[in-house]
Amino acid sequence: MPEYQARQTIGELLDRQGISRRAFIKYCTAMASLMALPPLAGRAMAEQLRAARRPSVIYLSFQECTGCLESLTRSFSPSIENMIFNVISLDYDDTLMAAAGHRAEAARDQAMKANYGKYLVVVDGSVPTADGGIYNCAAGRTAVDILTETAKGAAAIVCVGTCSSFGGIPFADPNPTGARPVSDLIGDKPIINVSGCPPIPEVITGTLLQFVTTGQVPDLDEHRRPKVFFGNTIHDRCYRRPFFDQGKFAKTFDDEGARNGWCLFELGCKGPTTYNACATTKWNGGTSFPIESGHPCLGCSEPGFWDKGSFYAALSTGTFGRAGNLTPRDAAKLGGAAAATGIAVAAGATALARHRRKVRMTDIQTADTQKEE
Amino acid sequence: MSRLGDIPIRIERPDFAAMAGTIGGGVTAILAEIAALLDRLAAGDEPQAIDLKSLPMNPGDREQLIEALGSGEVAITLYADGESTIRETGVHGVWWTEHRDGDGEVTAAFIEIARVPGILIVDSDELQRGAERLRSAIGATRSSE
Amino acid sequence: MDLLQFARGPALKFALIVFCFGVLWRLTAVFLLRHERTLSEPRHPVFRALMGGLLAAGSRSAPHREFIRRTGYSEALGYSYHIGLFVVVLAFGPHIAFLKSLFGVSWPALPNNLVTVIAALTLTLMLAVLLRRLTHRVLRLLSNFDDYFSWFITALVIVTGLMASTHFGAPYEQLLAWHILSFDALLVWFPFGKLMHAFYIFPSRAINGYALARKGASV
Repeated sequence: MPEYQARQTIGELLDRQGISRRAFIKYCTAMASLMALPPLAGRAMAEQLRAARRPSVIYLSFQECTGCLESLTRSFSPSIENMIFNVISLDYDDTLMAAAGHRAEAARDQAMKANYGKYLVVVDGSVPTADGGIYNCAAGRTAVDILTETAKGAAAIVCVGTCSSFGGIPFADPNPTGARPVSDLIGDKPIINVSGCPPIPEVITGTLLQFVTTGQVPDLDEHRRPKVFFGNTIHDRCYRRPFFDQGKFAKTFDDEGARNGWCLFELGCKGPTTYNACATTKWNGGTSFPIESGHPCLGCSEPGFWDKGSFYAALSTGTFGRAGNLTPRDAAKLGGAAAATGIAVAAGATALARHRRKVRMTDIQTADTQKEE
Repeated sequence: MSRLGDIPIRIERPDFAAMAGTIGGGVTAILAEIAALLDRLAAGDEPQAIDLKSLPMNPGDREQLIEALGSGEVAITLYADGESTIRETGVHGVWWTEHRDGDGEVTAAFIEIARVPGILIVDSDELQRGAERLRSAIGATRSSE
Repeated sequence: MDLLQFARGPALKFALIVFCFGVLWRLTAVFLLRHERTLSEPRHPVFRALMGGLLAAGSRSAPHREFIRRTGYSEALGYSYHIGLFVVVLAFGPHIAFLKSLFGVSWPALPNNLVTVIAALTLTLMLAVLLRRLTHRVLRLLSNFDDYFSWFITALVIVTGLMASTHFGAPYEQLLAWHILSFDALLVWFPFGKLMHAFYIFPSRAINGYALARKGASV
């Protein structure tokens, strides 16, 4: 990273790029709205950011599908998408950077050295630990190795996506690569989890922006997710909630209820147990979100979402059975077997009791006969 | 067809009009809040704003609110990374603000209760930079003479 | 595995197995109980005696006119909270989804708010029932651990269910986990405690009625 950039404030950089103060206020106002801050707080945020220096960010990609980075770089309009890159100095990202090979690795080393203790690490993807971590290597080093080294000098780690936050899909049973979330491997640094498969782009940029503005880790929930974005369940903020309350449910994907936009609970919606901002922030610049498009929430921002039974079985049903959800056939088999055993045990026990009684009665009778004799 | 809104889509929605009042608190509560904020502004408090994006409102509610506030004397268009519109409503000091990005999508929408919308006010740095720019322009003209 | 996964997965599976096993075990055991041979001459033919049994199974559900002053209050209480329980179990959307996963059939749900109110009323009535059990001297002497625990486990399921549906006191996924766990516990306890009356009540009345009718008594 060139020296002058490090010393430059964000405001100076924006001025040089011809991004006016008002344009930046607009951006911060939009972000403030997403963070449930009062709209006018965007102005204070803009002033504060303009005076701040851009923090160095190292973006590490491990066992992932790049969906999270796609989500981030496709965030709402092109001009606003770029804005986050004016606020942070993205010094290493092997997917986006022009450099490759040794030069790319050198950029990471240099950024770490120049900003030791101050840089931000963004991790995308889970970290495989099985068989010495060989399932994910870059530049001849394992993901575990790269993460441990890079985390040492970090001010904080932002885990982008469910994979780095909770293990995600690589972590799903049977987890052949021994995938682990970052929080399992790094214990001595503040970790912010921005989960989702992928996370909402505005939630990623909002979290980064919040950290850059305040220099502090935001309020986190028990899964270390920022409360401003993960404070409510999808269900709590869902526009279909009135139908849930009225007991009106779609039973299949093409019945009258589905066409009327009724609640998708019975089709397996995980909205009630899923914390995310989809119902309010929505996707693609506020166009829609899965439930609005008629599909139940999969619960992708929750730990272990892949292993919590069928996506299409209601939350109030069992999660065992052939397909990971309880069906009448499973129930009949299970209940039938248990009931048959019950009958057999009872019949056996009764027969035994009768037999004993018979023996006892015979004994008494024999004794009586003997007495009489 | 450059904008998302131009793509024709048909969304089957529940009858929101029939459900008015079931989601969100309704228009009355917002109007009462605006009135209270106007009082506070008159008493010397800082300007405030009500975020329209984060309020759970039915489409019907929004129209009712627009109707209740009416339209006023001032309409401002801001060209900064996309067009923004700031319109004074029929109530003085109540500004209906919508920020749009380069694609014309609304990124922020709020009602600002202020004497003048804050985003219009130029800060001292900008004044100085403006003056410098003019002086250098004058200097350039003089030296070219 | 989080608590909710445990509740919906292994715990529910175990509970359902124990429930089916236990219920059938106890029903079979009672069915195969040794009956003393009735030596008296039947006053009514078998068919009439059987009809008498069926009649008794139903007619015993109505309060006895002569005792209505003494039994009316507790019978009204009993009926109301049982109806409440049935409505809550059978008319709440998520419960219907659960039953559908077991039996493959479903039916329309009642509005949640209505079910919540009924659940709260049911709980209040159950408190009144408990209060009566505690203050009625004879009833108190008749009551044992089984009575109190069966009451407690049922009330616990309602309380956790109410908390879950009103999002009271903890994150929803925890409340839901507690609710399902308490239901799992109820299923396990069911066959071995007095909750088993759900299965015994009508057959036992019918057998009584049959025996009486056989003796020639009017049922």
